[in-house]
Amino acid sequence: MADKTIPSNGTDPMDEALHRLSRKPGVKAWIMLDRSTGAVLKSNGQISSIRPAKSANSDTALPTPTGGSFSTDVTANTDNESQAAQELGSMVWGFMSTAGSLVQEIDTEDELKLLRLRTKKQELVIVPEPKYILVVVHDTPPA
Amino acid sequence: MDKQRRDEIQAKRAKLAELKRQRELRAKDTGRGSGSPSDLIAPTPGRDNRKDIESLISSLVGDSRPVSTGASSPVPKGSRPTSVLSGGELSAEASDLASQSQAPGQAAAAPSQPQVLTTVALQTVYECPPSPVKEVVTYSTAAQTTEDWAPPTSRGRAFSELPEEDDLPGVTSTPSKRQSRRERDREEELRQKIRDEIEEELLEARERLQGGPLSGGAVNTSNFPARALTDEELNAVTASDEFFDFVERSTKVIERALDQEYDVLTDYTLQIQSLEDDEEQTGNTAGKGRRRVKEVVQFYDERWSKKRMVSSIDFSPKFPELLLASYTKNPSAPHDPDGIVQVWNSHLHDRPEFLFHAQSDILTAKFSPFHPNLIIGGTYSGQVLLWDTRAKSAPVQKTPLTGTGHSHPVYSVDIVGTQNANNIISVSTDGQLCVWSVDMLSQPQEQLTLTNPHPSKFDDVAPTTMAFPAADPTYFLVGSEEGPIYPCHRYDRAGAKAGIDTRVAYKGHAAPVMSVAFHPPRGPVDLGDLVLSSSLDWSVKLWKVRAPAATSTVVESAGTSIHPLLDLVREDVVYDAAWSPVRPGVFALVDGAGSLEIWDISVETEIPIAKISPTARKEGRQLLSKSLNKVVWEASEGKRLATGGIDSTVSVFEVGPDLGGKDGVRAEEWTSVKKLVARLEAAGAGAAAGATA
Repeated sequence: MADKTIPSNGTDPMDEALHRLSRKPGVKAWIMLDRSTGAVLKSNGQISSIRPAKSANSDTALPTPTGGSFSTDVTANTDNESQAAQELGSMVWGFMSTAGSLVQEIDTEDELKLLRLRTKKQELVIVPEPKYILVVVHDTPPA
Repeated sequence: MDKQRRDEIQAKRAKLAELKRQRELRAKDTGRGSGSPSDLIAPTPGRDNRKDIESLISSLVGDSRPVSTGASSPVPKGSRPTSVLSGGELSAEASDLASQSQAPGQAAAAPSQPQVLTTVALQTVYECPPSPVKEVVTYSTAAQTTEDWAPPTSRGRAFSELPEEDDLPGVTSTPSKRQSRRERDREEELRQKIRDEIEEELLEARERLQGGPLSGGAVNTSNFPARALTDEELNAVTASDEFFDFVERSTKVIERALDQEYDVLTDYTLQIQSLEDDEEQTGNTAGKGRRRVKEVVQFYDERWSKKRMVSSIDFSPKFPELLLASYTKNPSAPHDPDGIVQVWNSHLHDRPEFLFHAQSDILTAKFSPFHPNLIIGGTYSGQVLLWDTRAKSAPVQKTPLTGTGHSHPVYSVDIVGTQNANNIISVSTDGQLCVWSVDMLSQPQEQLTLTNPHPSKFDDVAPTTMAFPAADPTYFLVGSEEGPIYPCHRYDRAGAKAGIDTRVAYKGHAAPVMSVAFHPPRGPVDLGDLVLSSSLDWSVKLWKVRAPAATSTVVESAGTSIHPLLDLVREDVVYDAAWSPVRPGVFALVDGAGSLEIWDISVETEIPIAKISPTARKEGRQLLSKSLNKVVWEASEGKRLATGGIDSTVSVFEVGPDLGGKDGVRAEEWTSVKKLVARLEAAGAGAAAGATA
């Protein structure tokens, strides 16, 4: 709450931080997850371009409350985007749990702090905090 | 009596037999459960033996003592718990919990056979009296711990674990700390599981109500309890302070990660061409080869830097990648704090690492050299402020505005002393000098008024800048608005009272002095008496100051004025000049035209070695926006320097190996500077002699 005492200039410091994150060169998308349940809290960017939603039909789709659950930046194709975010989120969550258990196995006193998953095409930076998880997908400089 | 004892022994034997039977049962059970009976059984006999011994002791020694069940256990007093009874209790508890979680049907079947057996084992532990010696109950019943940790595969399983869970805190009468924490964690985890399950069920119920015959297996089988939150839940989460903190912290980490320019996966065998390109001068550079100056990074924050002037810069002495910049007010944002300090990180380009603010323009700010978390600052209102990077953005301490202290702008603050005894020293433009304790800013520890030794129009001296030599925290120089530089003493000494030394003045500047800097004294030759001053009279001057003690031995008429050794006339007002922390002859200056100049007097005393201007911001103001206020070297390596000015941008430059860095320093540089000083002194003395003759 470092900045709560500062009068803001009309912009919420949290939104500001998130916008800056989105604007960073190379950043393709980000998702915020709840650590315990894996529920998607906020997301931004073209997640479906990273990994298109596998199950587009609404039968197997997870129940999504109507409207406004995702950050306003996602306007077009909300359903598909949120679906993709859900799926990517679930994959990351699974990966996180596995990595976390690996760390626990090595040393029970230890704790997972940061995950950078570099692939040929992109990089996933995962910041696990006690209650939430931030996942950023960004382009890596051409190697 | 005898009979009683015999009876007791009889009962004892029966009990032993029963214990033995239980043990066998359990051994069989664990053997079946985990498949590795040998190492699992091993610890149990020890415990049973101990228990036997203890109960034997209790039966022999203290017959009046109540059976331990009453002592500290949750089991009802007087009733020796049998397996049936405890099982009943447990299942009752289980059904309570189960009804809470809307699954009453499963509760009855919950405590499965092996579970009951393990709880029996637990109950018997109660029976031993609390031993006089503090014993650590280690959980050797592996049947409980090993299996618990596996994630629940079915709902019934999770519930059947619960009764045990409730018992555990009572059982471990002297649990080690770690154990209890683990238990708490486990408990928490279980609760979370139940919560998740309830949520899942609610969700299913809702779906059923909505009419969609959903294939529930899809959700349940997946280990990932994915479900979208409702608007309300989302808002609740995202509006929480905790979430805000999370966003702050995690985005900072991400930005640092993304700003890391070096690619760890670079394959140099593939990159030969582009590496050669890199050798060419790209970006904003000046100078050639080993005397190159290159702009490395610029710091500007749209929200906080905008329309503010940089009033001071300082590198962190502890973390060379951090530097602070203090700013004056933004005239178009009256609701924002007037003064701010931003701590920038060279690995985080777009936002400051920390932001601090004050109610008045901050004119100067500095990291404490003795405590990496503390930042001190002086404001236009006359306050001295102390911020802590571990605290919030408001100052943790500030000096009073009225009463004792300063009532005029504070343009110069410093921390002098040693690690264990240091003080904040501040000087305001009315000539007040205050010494503060870092721990208490409510009242100055010392106060001194600097007055003009030769009053002409005013008694006051208006100090604009102050500099302490590295060796002596009681002696310092102040640069004044009138032009002269005065030596001052904090305390009375032989031949001089506290305050401005009336015998000597360094006269040469014809306009306010903007900076005074002592030569940093690390090297084979002592050049600590060299002082560099800059002034609005378009010049930088080099002085050789008298040692504070020497002035008392030489009989001199009051008011001797000393002339500069070297006078470097520049093309604009000079706002700041700073010695390189590692090179004896190198210094940097910034001027009103917006140039940064690097000089090396051991090489050249007429023209600068390199001259560079920071890249202007595109949307920046065009007119009068280039002027630079401050220049600071990074002290530990001496390779980087930072400048800032009206443009509100802080620019960091890196100099080549001949201008900075510790590696290439040669002893000749020191001697050549020493020789130059001697030569200049001789020339000055000759000129003075010529003038008197």
